[in-house]
Amino acid sequence: MSVLAIALFGAGAVAAGFPRSAGSGVERAFRAVVALALGIGAWSAAYAGWLMGAGIAGPGKDLALAAAGAALWIAFRRRQPATESQAEAAPRWLWLLFALSCAVAAAAFVEHTLRFPDGGWDAWMIWNLRARFLARAADFRTAFSPDMAFLAHQDYPWLLPGAVAQAFAAFGESRAIPALVAAIFGALGVAVVALAVARKFGARWGLFAGLAVTTLPCFPVFVSNQQSDVPLSVYLAIAAALLASAGSRRELALAGFAAGLGMWTKNEGSLYAICLLAALLWRTRDLRAAAAFAGGVLPGALLLLWFKLALAPPNDLAAFSTAGTLLHNALDLRRWGELALMTLRRIVYFQDFALWVAAEALFLAFFVRRQQPSVLGTALFLACAAFAPIYALQPHRLDWIFRTSADRILIQLWPAAVLATAPFLARTTART
Amino acid sequence: MNPRRVTAALVLLAAAGILRILFVHFVSEPRREPVRAPIDPRYEALRRLVPSGEAGYVSDLPVAVHLGEDAAGLGTRMYLQTQFALAPVVLRYDDARANVVIANVANPAMLPEVLRQRSLSLLAEAGPGLAVARPR
Repeated sequence: MSVLAIALFGAGAVAAGFPRSAGSGVERAFRAVVALALGIGAWSAAYAGWLMGAGIAGPGKDLALAAAGAALWIAFRRRQPATESQAEAAPRWLWLLFALSCAVAAAAFVEHTLRFPDGGWDAWMIWNLRARFLARAADFRTAFSPDMAFLAHQDYPWLLPGAVAQAFAAFGESRAIPALVAAIFGALGVAVVALAVARKFGARWGLFAGLAVTTLPCFPVFVSNQQSDVPLSVYLAIAAALLASAGSRRELALAGFAAGLGMWTKNEGSLYAICLLAALLWRTRDLRAAAAFAGGVLPGALLLLWFKLALAPPNDLAAFSTAGTLLHNALDLRRWGELALMTLRRIVYFQDFALWVAAEALFLAFFVRRQQPSVLGTALFLACAAFAPIYALQPHRLDWIFRTSADRILIQLWPAAVLATAPFLARTTART
Repeated sequence: MNPRRVTAALVLLAAAGILRILFVHFVSEPRREPVRAPIDPRYEALRRLVPSGEAGYVSDLPVAVHLGEDAAGLGTRMYLQTQFALAPVVLRYDDARANVVIANVANPAMLPEVLRQRSLSLLAEAGPGLAVARPR
Protein backbone atom coordinates (compact mmCIF):
# COMPACT_ATOMS: atom_id res chain seq x y z
CA MET A 1 0.00 0.00 0.00
CA SER A 2 2.90 2.35 0.77
CA VAL A 3 4.38 1.81 -2.69
CA LEU A 4 1.01 2.54 -4.26
CA ALA A 5 0.63 5.70 -2.15
CA ILE A 6 4.08 6.94 -3.17
CA ALA A 7 3.54 6.14 -6.84
CA LEU A 8 0.01 7.53 -7.10
CA PHE A 9 0.67 10.68 -5.14
CA GLY A 10 3.89 11.34 -7.05
CA ALA A 11 2.10 10.80 -10.38
CA GLY A 12 -0.80 13.01 -9.28
CA ALA A 13 1.47 15.82 -8.11
CA VAL A 14 3.42 15.75 -11.37
CA ALA A 15 0.20 15.63 -13.43
CA ALA A 16 -1.02 18.70 -11.55
CA GLY A 17 2.30 20.48 -11.84
CA PHE A 18 3.00 20.13 -15.55
CA PRO A 19 0.31 21.58 -17.81
CA ARG A 20 2.02 20.30 -20.97
CA SER A 21 2.62 16.75 -22.11
CA ALA A 22 6.12 15.36 -21.91
CA GLY A 23 7.57 15.72 -25.38
CA SER A 24 10.60 13.48 -25.01
CA GLY A 25 11.97 10.51 -23.16
CA VAL A 26 14.23 12.79 -21.11
CA GLU A 27 11.24 14.88 -20.03
CA ARG A 28 9.31 11.73 -19.08
CA ALA A 29 12.29 10.46 -17.11
CA PHE A 30 12.64 13.83 -15.33
CA ARG A 31 8.98 13.82 -14.37
CA ALA A 32 9.23 10.22 -13.16
CA VAL A 33 12.18 11.10 -10.95
CA VAL A 34 10.37 14.17 -9.59
CA ALA A 35 7.25 12.03 -8.97
CA LEU A 36 9.26 9.48 -7.00
CA ALA A 37 11.00 12.10 -4.85
CA LEU A 38 7.79 14.02 -4.16
CA GLY A 39 5.90 10.77 -3.57
CA ILE A 40 8.40 9.64 -0.92
CA GLY A 41 8.39 13.09 0.67
CA ALA A 42 4.61 13.32 0.76
CA TRP A 43 4.40 9.76 2.13
CA SER A 44 6.67 10.73 5.01
CA ALA A 45 4.99 14.10 5.56
CA ALA A 46 1.55 12.45 5.63
CA TYR A 47 2.88 9.98 8.21
CA ALA A 48 3.99 12.89 10.39
CA GLY A 49 0.70 14.72 9.93
CA TRP A 50 -1.26 11.60 10.81
CA LEU A 51 0.87 10.94 13.89
CA MET A 52 0.60 14.51 15.13
CA GLY A 53 -3.12 14.64 14.42
CA ALA A 54 -4.30 11.20 15.45
CA GLY A 55 -1.39 9.80 17.43
CA ILE A 56 -1.14 6.80 15.13
CA ALA A 57 -0.53 6.29 11.40
CA GLY A 58 -2.26 3.22 10.05
CA PRO A 59 -3.00 2.08 6.49
CA GLY A 60 -5.73 4.74 6.23
CA LYS A 61 -3.00 7.30 5.75
CA ASP A 62 -1.62 5.50 2.67
CA LEU A 63 -5.12 5.01 1.35
CA ALA A 64 -5.86 8.74 1.68
CA LEU A 65 -2.56 9.66 0.04
CA ALA A 66 -3.16 7.24 -2.85
CA ALA A 67 -6.71 8.57 -3.28
CA ALA A 68 -5.47 12.18 -3.28
CA GLY A 69 -2.86 11.29 -5.89
CA ALA A 70 -5.39 9.49 -8.06
CA ALA A 71 -7.80 12.42 -7.80
CA LEU A 72 -5.07 14.85 -8.86
CA TRP A 73 -4.07 12.60 -11.74
CA ILE A 74 -7.65 12.33 -13.00
CA ALA A 75 -8.35 16.06 -12.53
CA PHE A 76 -5.24 17.12 -14.44
CA ARG A 77 -4.89 14.30 -16.98
CA ARG A 78 -5.69 16.53 -19.95
CA ARG A 79 -2.58 18.33 -21.03
CA GLN A 80 -1.59 20.87 -23.60
CA PRO A 81 0.72 19.63 -26.35
CA ALA A 82 4.43 19.51 -25.58
CA THR A 83 6.74 22.26 -26.75
CA GLU A 84 9.87 21.57 -28.76
CA SER A 85 12.98 21.28 -26.67
CA GLN A 86 16.59 21.64 -27.69
CA ALA A 87 18.51 18.42 -27.60
CA GLU A 88 22.24 18.39 -28.15
CA ALA A 89 23.26 14.74 -28.24
CA ALA A 90 26.15 13.54 -26.13
CA PRO A 91 29.20 11.79 -27.57
CA ARG A 92 29.77 8.15 -26.63
CA TRP A 93 32.89 8.93 -24.58
CA LEU A 94 30.84 11.26 -22.37
CA TRP A 95 28.25 8.56 -21.70
CA LEU A 96 31.10 6.21 -20.77
CA LEU A 97 32.68 8.80 -18.48
CA PHE A 98 29.34 9.41 -16.77
CA ALA A 99 28.74 5.66 -16.37
CA LEU A 100 32.24 5.29 -14.92
CA SER A 101 31.63 8.13 -12.46
CA CYS A 102 28.35 6.55 -11.33
CA ALA A 103 30.09 3.19 -10.86
CA VAL A 104 32.90 4.80 -8.84
CA ALA A 105 30.44 6.77 -6.69
CA ALA A 106 28.35 3.63 -6.12
CA ALA A 107 31.45 1.63 -5.17
CA ALA A 108 32.53 4.38 -2.77
CA PHE A 109 29.04 4.39 -1.26
CA VAL A 110 29.21 0.63 -0.67
CA GLU A 111 32.73 0.85 0.74
CA HIS A 112 31.81 3.64 3.14
CA THR A 113 28.58 1.94 4.19
CA LEU A 114 30.47 -1.25 5.04
CA ARG A 115 33.16 0.70 6.91
CA PHE A 116 30.61 2.73 8.91
CA PRO A 117 27.68 0.31 9.27
CA ASP A 118 25.55 2.72 11.31
CA GLY A 119 26.16 5.63 8.95
CA GLY A 120 27.76 8.95 9.85
CA TRP A 121 27.80 10.34 13.39
CA ASP A 122 24.65 12.41 12.84
CA ALA A 123 22.82 9.39 11.41
CA TRP A 124 22.82 7.48 14.70
CA MET A 125 22.85 10.60 16.86
CA ILE A 126 19.83 12.21 15.19
CA TRP A 127 18.18 10.75 12.09
CA ASN A 128 18.12 6.99 12.64
CA LEU A 129 17.73 7.55 16.39
CA ARG A 130 14.51 9.42 15.60
CA ALA A 131 13.42 6.68 13.16
CA ARG A 132 13.94 4.07 15.90
CA PHE A 133 11.89 6.09 18.36
CA LEU A 134 9.09 6.49 15.82
CA ALA A 135 9.11 2.81 14.97
CA ARG A 136 9.51 1.47 18.52
CA ALA A 137 7.80 3.88 20.91
CA ALA A 138 4.24 3.34 22.08
CA ASP A 139 3.81 7.12 22.01
CA PHE A 140 5.61 8.81 19.09
CA ARG A 141 6.01 12.00 21.18
CA THR A 142 8.76 10.22 23.12
CA ALA A 143 10.99 10.81 20.06
CA PHE A 144 11.05 14.52 20.88
CA SER A 145 11.55 14.29 24.63
CA PRO A 146 13.51 17.30 25.93
CA ASP A 147 15.03 14.97 28.55
CA MET A 148 17.53 13.67 25.99
CA ALA A 149 20.77 15.62 25.45
CA PHE A 150 20.42 18.52 23.03
CA LEU A 151 22.78 16.79 20.58
CA ALA A 152 19.91 14.47 19.64
CA HIS A 153 18.41 17.63 18.09
CA GLN A 154 14.81 16.73 18.86
CA ASP A 155 13.65 19.91 17.13
CA TYR A 156 14.77 18.81 13.64
CA PRO A 157 12.05 18.11 11.08
CA TRP A 158 11.65 14.43 10.28
CA LEU A 159 11.02 13.63 6.64
CA LEU A 160 13.94 11.19 6.51
CA PRO A 161 13.25 9.54 9.90
CA GLY A 162 9.58 9.27 8.91
CA ALA A 163 10.49 7.41 5.72
CA VAL A 164 12.96 5.12 7.51
CA ALA A 165 10.54 4.45 10.40
CA GLN A 166 7.79 3.43 7.99
CA ALA A 167 10.22 1.15 6.16
CA PHE A 168 11.21 -0.35 9.54
CA ALA A 169 7.54 -0.97 10.27
CA ALA A 170 7.02 -2.60 6.89
CA PHE A 171 10.17 -4.71 6.57
CA GLY A 172 11.52 -4.97 10.13
CA GLU A 173 14.48 -3.14 11.62
CA SER A 174 17.70 -3.63 9.71
CA ARG A 175 20.76 -1.50 9.04
CA ALA A 176 20.12 -2.12 5.35
CA ILE A 177 16.98 0.03 5.39
CA PRO A 178 18.47 3.46 6.16
CA ALA A 179 21.32 2.59 3.78
CA LEU A 180 18.83 1.76 1.03
CA VAL A 181 16.80 4.92 1.66
CA ALA A 182 20.06 6.90 1.52
CA ALA A 183 21.00 5.22 -1.77
CA ILE A 184 17.60 6.08 -3.27
CA PHE A 185 17.99 9.74 -2.36
CA GLY A 186 21.57 9.74 -3.70
CA ALA A 187 20.44 8.30 -7.02
CA LEU A 188 17.56 10.78 -7.13
CA GLY A 189 20.00 13.64 -6.56
CA VAL A 190 22.13 12.70 -9.56
CA ALA A 191 19.10 11.95 -11.72
CA VAL A 192 17.29 15.21 -10.92
CA VAL A 193 20.32 17.33 -11.83
CA ALA A 194 21.30 15.39 -14.97
CA LEU A 195 17.75 15.15 -16.33
CA ALA A 196 16.77 18.73 -15.42
CA VAL A 197 19.71 20.05 -17.44
CA ALA A 198 19.29 17.49 -20.24
CA ARG A 199 15.61 18.39 -20.75
CA LYS A 200 16.58 22.01 -21.42
CA PHE A 201 20.03 21.82 -23.00
CA GLY A 202 20.40 18.28 -24.28
CA ALA A 203 22.15 15.11 -23.12
CA ARG A 204 25.67 16.56 -23.42
CA TRP A 205 25.04 19.20 -20.77
CA GLY A 206 22.89 16.85 -18.73
CA LEU A 207 25.78 14.40 -18.46
CA PHE A 208 28.23 17.14 -17.52
CA ALA A 209 25.82 18.32 -14.84
CA GLY A 210 25.48 14.77 -13.54
CA LEU A 211 29.28 14.45 -13.51
CA ALA A 212 29.54 17.57 -11.37
CA VAL A 213 27.50 15.75 -8.72
CA THR A 214 28.84 12.19 -8.96
CA THR A 215 32.51 13.25 -8.99
CA LEU A 216 32.27 15.65 -6.05
CA PRO A 217 34.36 13.53 -3.66
CA CYS A 218 32.19 14.13 -0.58
CA PHE A 219 28.97 13.24 -2.43
CA PRO A 220 29.13 9.43 -2.02
CA VAL A 221 30.31 9.94 1.57
CA PHE A 222 27.32 12.12 2.39
CA VAL A 223 24.98 9.66 0.70
CA SER A 224 26.37 6.81 2.79
CA ASN A 225 26.21 8.95 5.95
CA GLN A 226 22.41 8.41 5.97
CA GLN A 227 21.75 12.00 7.03
CA SER A 228 19.20 14.50 5.77
CA ASP A 229 21.57 16.66 3.74
CA VAL A 230 21.28 14.68 0.49
CA PRO A 231 17.46 14.40 0.71
CA LEU A 232 17.32 18.16 1.31
CA SER A 233 19.56 18.71 -1.70
CA VAL A 234 17.15 16.62 -3.79
CA TYR A 235 14.11 18.71 -2.83
CA LEU A 236 16.02 21.94 -3.26
CA ALA A 237 17.25 20.79 -6.68
CA ILE A 238 13.72 19.88 -7.77
CA ALA A 239 12.42 23.25 -6.60
CA ALA A 240 15.33 24.97 -8.33
CA ALA A 241 14.91 23.07 -11.60
CA LEU A 242 11.18 23.75 -11.75
CA LEU A 243 11.58 27.38 -10.75
CA ALA A 244 14.23 27.94 -13.42
CA SER A 245 12.17 26.37 -16.19
CA ALA A 246 8.62 27.17 -15.11
CA GLY A 247 6.33 28.23 -17.91
CA SER A 248 3.19 28.27 -15.78
CA ARG A 249 2.04 28.92 -12.25
CA ARG A 250 1.30 25.20 -11.85
CA GLU A 251 5.00 24.44 -12.28
CA LEU A 252 5.80 27.16 -9.76
CA ALA A 253 3.36 25.61 -7.29
CA LEU A 254 5.05 22.24 -7.79
CA ALA A 255 8.43 23.91 -7.21
CA GLY A 256 7.00 25.35 -4.01
CA PHE A 257 5.73 21.92 -2.97
CA ALA A 258 9.24 20.51 -3.38
CA ALA A 259 10.67 23.43 -1.39
CA GLY A 260 8.07 22.75 1.32
CA LEU A 261 9.23 19.14 1.52
CA GLY A 262 12.75 20.54 1.88
CA MET A 263 11.49 22.50 4.88
CA TRP A 264 10.18 19.26 6.35
CA THR A 265 13.58 17.61 5.73
CA LYS A 266 15.90 19.96 7.60
CA ASN A 267 15.82 23.37 9.26
CA GLU A 268 17.96 24.84 6.48
CA GLY A 269 15.14 23.97 4.08
CA SER A 270 13.14 26.90 5.48
CA LEU A 271 15.97 29.28 4.64
CA TYR A 272 16.16 27.91 1.09
CA ALA A 273 12.38 28.18 0.58
CA ILE A 274 12.46 31.80 1.77
CA CYS A 275 15.42 32.58 -0.51
CA LEU A 276 13.71 31.00 -3.53
CA LEU A 277 10.56 33.01 -2.86
CA ALA A 278 12.48 36.24 -2.27
CA ALA A 279 14.53 35.76 -5.45
CA LEU A 280 11.42 35.01 -7.47
CA LEU A 281 9.80 38.21 -6.25
CA TRP A 282 12.99 40.25 -6.67
CA ARG A 283 13.81 39.15 -10.20
CA THR A 284 10.33 38.81 -11.70
CA ARG A 285 8.25 41.31 -9.66
CA ASP A 286 5.39 38.90 -10.38
CA LEU A 287 3.18 38.63 -7.30
CA ARG A 288 1.00 35.92 -8.82
CA ALA A 289 4.03 33.77 -9.57
CA ALA A 290 5.27 34.27 -6.03
CA ALA A 291 1.82 33.44 -4.67
CA ALA A 292 1.76 30.20 -6.71
CA PHE A 293 5.16 29.21 -5.34
CA ALA A 294 4.14 30.15 -1.80
CA GLY A 295 0.93 28.16 -2.18
CA GLY A 296 2.99 25.10 -3.05
CA VAL A 297 5.25 25.64 -0.05
CA LEU A 298 2.27 25.86 2.29
CA PRO A 299 1.69 22.14 3.13
CA GLY A 300 5.31 21.63 4.15
CA ALA A 301 5.47 24.97 5.96
CA LEU A 302 2.28 24.31 7.94
CA LEU A 303 3.45 20.84 8.91
CA LEU A 304 6.75 22.28 10.12
CA LEU A 305 5.00 25.06 12.03
CA TRP A 306 2.65 22.55 13.66
CA PHE A 307 5.59 20.42 14.76
CA LYS A 308 7.61 23.35 16.03
CA LEU A 309 4.69 24.77 18.01
CA ALA A 310 3.24 21.52 19.31
CA LEU A 311 6.14 19.17 19.88
CA ALA A 312 9.63 20.41 19.21
CA PRO A 313 11.83 21.55 22.08
CA PRO A 314 13.80 24.77 21.43
CA ASN A 315 16.58 24.64 18.87
CA ASP A 316 20.03 24.64 20.50
CA LEU A 317 21.11 27.72 18.55
CA ALA A 318 18.19 29.62 20.06
CA ALA A 319 18.32 27.95 23.47
CA PHE A 320 21.97 28.83 24.03
CA SER A 321 21.71 32.37 22.61
CA THR A 322 20.97 35.49 24.60
CA ALA A 323 20.75 39.12 23.52
CA GLY A 324 24.19 39.52 25.07
CA THR A 325 25.85 36.69 23.11
CA LEU A 326 24.20 37.86 19.88
CA LEU A 327 25.48 41.39 20.34
CA HIS A 328 28.91 40.23 21.43
CA ASN A 329 29.26 37.89 18.44
CA ALA A 330 27.91 40.51 16.02
CA LEU A 331 30.52 43.04 17.13
CA ASP A 332 33.38 40.57 17.29
CA LEU A 333 35.37 41.49 14.16
CA ARG A 334 37.84 38.67 14.78
CA ARG A 335 34.95 36.20 14.54
CA TRP A 336 33.85 37.62 11.17
CA GLY A 337 37.44 37.52 9.92
CA GLU A 338 37.85 33.93 11.08
CA LEU A 339 34.64 33.03 9.27
CA ALA A 340 35.83 34.67 6.04
CA LEU A 341 39.16 32.87 6.25
CA MET A 342 37.60 29.48 6.94
CA THR A 343 35.19 29.99 4.03
CA LEU A 344 38.01 30.84 1.62
CA ARG A 345 39.99 27.82 2.77
CA ARG A 346 36.94 25.60 2.33
CA ILE A 347 36.55 26.65 -1.30
CA VAL A 348 39.90 25.03 -2.11
CA TYR A 349 39.34 22.00 0.14
CA PHE A 350 40.49 19.36 -2.33
CA GLN A 351 39.84 16.43 0.01
CA ASP A 352 36.07 16.93 -0.12
CA PHE A 353 35.44 18.95 -3.25
CA ALA A 354 38.42 18.18 -5.53
CA LEU A 355 38.54 21.24 -7.80
CA TRP A 356 34.80 21.66 -8.36
CA VAL A 357 34.03 24.35 -5.80
CA ALA A 358 37.14 26.36 -6.63
CA ALA A 359 36.19 26.18 -10.33
CA GLU A 360 32.64 27.26 -9.53
CA ALA A 361 33.91 30.20 -7.47
CA LEU A 362 36.22 31.31 -10.30
CA PHE A 363 33.43 30.92 -12.83
CA LEU A 364 31.12 33.03 -10.67
CA ALA A 365 33.75 35.67 -10.04
CA PHE A 366 34.96 36.11 -13.59
CA PHE A 367 32.03 35.18 -15.75
CA VAL A 368 28.58 34.77 -14.24
CA ARG A 369 28.59 38.08 -12.38
CA ARG A 370 28.71 39.90 -15.72
CA GLN A 371 25.56 38.07 -16.90
CA GLN A 372 21.92 38.88 -16.33
CA PRO A 373 21.11 37.52 -12.84
CA SER A 374 18.77 34.55 -12.70
CA VAL A 375 16.12 33.74 -10.08
CA LEU A 376 17.98 30.61 -9.06
CA GLY A 377 21.38 32.28 -8.92
CA THR A 378 19.92 35.07 -6.82
CA ALA A 379 18.29 32.58 -4.44
CA LEU A 380 21.57 30.73 -3.94
CA PHE A 381 23.42 33.99 -3.42
CA LEU A 382 20.87 35.02 -0.78
CA ALA A 383 21.18 31.64 0.95
CA CYS A 384 24.99 31.84 1.05
CA ALA A 385 24.81 35.42 2.29
CA ALA A 386 22.35 34.43 5.02
CA PHE A 387 24.74 31.80 6.34
CA ALA A 388 27.33 34.46 7.21
CA PRO A 389 25.34 36.03 10.09
CA ILE A 390 23.98 32.62 11.10
CA TYR A 391 27.54 31.34 11.57
CA ALA A 392 28.80 34.53 13.16
CA LEU A 393 25.95 34.98 15.63
CA GLN A 394 25.33 31.36 16.69
CA PRO A 395 26.49 30.56 20.22
CA HIS A 396 28.82 27.59 19.64
CA ARG A 397 32.56 27.77 19.00
CA LEU A 398 32.87 29.02 15.44
CA ASP A 399 35.60 26.65 14.27
CA TRP A 400 33.72 23.62 15.65
CA ILE A 401 30.35 24.50 14.13
CA PHE A 402 31.93 25.50 10.80
CA ARG A 403 34.02 22.32 10.62
CA THR A 404 31.01 20.13 11.36
CA SER A 405 28.52 21.87 9.07
CA ALA A 406 30.17 23.68 6.14
CA ASP A 407 30.48 20.58 3.96
CA ARG A 408 26.89 19.53 4.60
CA ILE A 409 25.66 22.99 3.58
CA LEU A 410 27.74 22.72 0.43
CA ILE A 411 26.25 19.31 -0.36
CA GLN A 412 22.74 20.71 0.20
CA LEU A 413 23.37 23.58 -2.20
CA TRP A 414 25.65 21.93 -4.76
CA PRO A 415 23.04 20.27 -7.02
CA ALA A 416 21.08 23.55 -7.18
CA ALA A 417 24.32 25.43 -7.86
CA VAL A 418 25.04 23.08 -10.77
CA LEU A 419 21.54 23.76 -12.09
CA ALA A 420 22.15 27.50 -11.78
CA THR A 421 25.50 27.31 -13.57
CA ALA A 422 24.66 24.92 -16.40
CA PRO A 423 22.54 27.38 -18.42
CA PHE A 424 25.40 29.92 -18.55
CA LEU A 425 27.84 27.28 -19.78
CA ALA A 426 25.37 25.81 -22.25
CA ARG A 427 24.40 29.17 -23.73
CA THR A 428 27.87 30.62 -24.02
CA THR A 429 29.34 27.54 -25.64
CA ALA A 430 26.31 26.78 -27.85
CA ARG A 431 27.32 25.43 -31.23
CA THR A 432 25.74 27.42 -34.01
CA MET B 1 33.79 30.67 -24.45
CA ASN B 2 35.56 28.06 -26.50
CA PRO B 3 33.45 24.86 -26.32
CA ARG B 4 36.50 22.61 -26.59
CA ARG B 5 38.21 24.32 -23.69
CA VAL B 6 35.08 24.17 -21.58
CA THR B 7 34.70 20.47 -22.37
CA ALA B 8 38.33 19.81 -21.52
CA ALA B 9 38.03 21.74 -18.24
CA LEU B 10 34.91 19.81 -17.21
CA VAL B 11 36.52 16.48 -18.05
CA LEU B 12 39.58 17.44 -16.01
CA LEU B 13 37.41 18.45 -13.04
CA ALA B 14 35.52 15.15 -13.27
CA ALA B 15 38.75 13.16 -13.60
CA ALA B 16 40.23 14.86 -10.53
CA GLY B 17 37.06 14.02 -8.60
CA ILE B 18 37.03 10.38 -9.71
CA LEU B 19 40.70 9.93 -8.82
CA ARG B 20 40.18 11.54 -5.43
CA ILE B 21 37.19 9.27 -4.69
CA LEU B 22 39.15 6.18 -5.73
CA PHE B 23 42.15 7.22 -3.61
CA VAL B 24 40.10 7.97 -0.49
CA HIS B 25 37.89 4.91 -0.54
CA PHE B 26 40.21 2.26 -1.93
CA VAL B 27 43.71 3.36 -0.90
CA SER B 28 43.73 5.80 2.02
CA GLU B 29 40.71 4.84 4.11
CA PRO B 30 41.34 1.06 4.15
CA ARG B 31 44.79 1.80 5.56
CA ARG B 32 43.93 4.33 8.25
CA GLU B 33 40.24 3.91 9.10
CA PRO B 34 39.36 0.61 10.77
CA VAL B 35 35.97 -0.85 9.97
CA ARG B 36 33.65 0.39 12.72
CA ALA B 37 31.86 -2.20 14.80
CA PRO B 38 28.07 -1.85 14.71
CA ILE B 39 26.71 -0.05 17.77
CA ASP B 40 23.92 -2.44 18.74
CA PRO B 41 25.72 -5.65 19.79
CA ARG B 42 27.33 -4.03 22.87
CA TYR B 43 23.89 -2.95 24.11
CA GLU B 44 21.80 -6.01 23.22
CA ALA B 45 21.68 -7.42 26.76
CA LEU B 46 20.98 -3.97 28.19
CA ARG B 47 18.09 -3.46 25.81
CA ARG B 48 16.48 -6.66 27.01
CA LEU B 49 16.79 -5.43 30.60
CA VAL B 50 15.45 -1.92 29.91
CA PRO B 51 13.05 -2.12 26.97
CA SER B 52 11.01 1.07 27.50
CA GLY B 53 10.32 4.10 29.67
CA GLU B 54 12.90 6.51 31.03
CA ALA B 55 16.21 5.88 32.72
CA GLY B 56 18.97 7.88 34.30
CA TYR B 57 22.44 7.71 32.80
CA VAL B 58 25.76 7.94 34.62
CA SER B 59 29.29 7.45 33.38
CA ASP B 60 32.94 7.92 34.28
CA LEU B 61 33.27 10.40 31.39
CA PRO B 62 31.44 13.71 30.92
CA VAL B 63 28.74 14.20 28.29
CA ALA B 64 28.29 17.47 26.38
CA VAL B 65 24.99 18.88 27.60
CA HIS B 66 25.94 22.55 27.80
CA LEU B 67 27.38 25.12 25.48
CA GLY B 68 31.12 24.79 24.93
CA GLU B 69 31.44 21.19 26.12
CA ASP B 70 33.18 18.62 23.96
CA ALA B 71 30.47 17.29 21.68
CA ALA B 72 32.84 14.83 20.01
CA GLY B 73 34.38 13.36 23.17
CA LEU B 74 34.22 9.70 24.10
CA GLY B 75 31.78 10.31 26.97
CA THR B 76 29.33 12.07 24.66
CA ARG B 77 29.70 9.35 22.04
CA MET B 78 29.02 6.62 24.60
CA TYR B 79 25.88 8.39 25.84
CA LEU B 80 24.57 8.99 22.31
CA GLN B 81 25.32 5.43 21.22
CA THR B 82 23.54 4.07 24.30
CA GLN B 83 20.58 6.31 23.49
CA PHE B 84 20.60 5.07 19.88
CA ALA B 85 20.71 1.42 20.91
CA LEU B 86 18.14 1.71 23.69
CA ALA B 87 15.51 3.83 21.91
CA PRO B 88 12.66 4.28 22.80
CA VAL B 89 14.09 4.50 26.33
CA VAL B 90 14.81 8.15 27.10
CA LEU B 91 18.16 8.49 28.86
CA ARG B 92 18.45 11.40 31.29
CA TYR B 93 22.10 12.23 31.64
CA ASP B 94 23.46 12.55 35.18
CA ASP B 95 20.15 11.55 36.77
CA ALA B 96 21.16 9.04 39.43
CA ARG B 97 17.83 9.32 41.25
CA ALA B 98 15.67 7.78 38.52
CA ASN B 99 14.03 4.42 39.26
CA VAL B 100 16.32 2.79 36.72
CA VAL B 101 19.84 4.07 36.06
CA ILE B 102 22.13 2.95 33.25
CA ALA B 103 25.81 3.02 34.16
CA ASN B 104 28.10 3.05 31.13
CA VAL B 105 31.81 3.44 31.82
CA ALA B 106 34.75 3.60 29.44
CA ASN B 107 36.97 1.84 31.98
CA PRO B 108 35.10 -1.25 33.27
CA ALA B 109 37.25 -1.26 36.42
CA MET B 110 35.61 2.06 37.33
CA LEU B 111 32.09 0.66 37.45
CA PRO B 112 31.98 -0.14 41.20
CA GLU B 113 33.47 3.28 41.97
CA VAL B 114 30.94 5.13 39.81
CA LEU B 115 28.08 3.22 41.43
CA ARG B 116 29.47 3.96 44.90
CA GLN B 117 29.98 7.68 44.16
CA ARG B 118 26.42 8.01 42.85
CA SER B 119 24.90 5.93 45.70
CA LEU B 120 23.61 3.30 43.29
CA SER B 121 23.19 -0.40 43.84
CA LEU B 122 23.82 -2.80 41.02
CA LEU B 123 20.80 -4.61 39.58
CA ALA B 124 22.44 -6.38 36.67
CA GLU B 125 25.58 -6.19 34.56
CA ALA B 126 24.92 -6.08 30.83
CA GLY B 127 28.47 -6.32 29.54
CA PRO B 128 31.91 -4.86 30.26
CA GLY B 129 31.39 -1.45 31.88
CA LEU B 130 27.66 -1.57 31.34
CA ALA B 131 25.12 -2.06 34.11
CA VAL B 132 21.59 -1.40 35.29
CA ALA B 133 21.38 0.10 38.75
CA ARG B 134 18.95 1.80 41.10
CA PRO B 135 19.30 4.39 43.84
CA ARG B 136 20.18 2.98 47.23
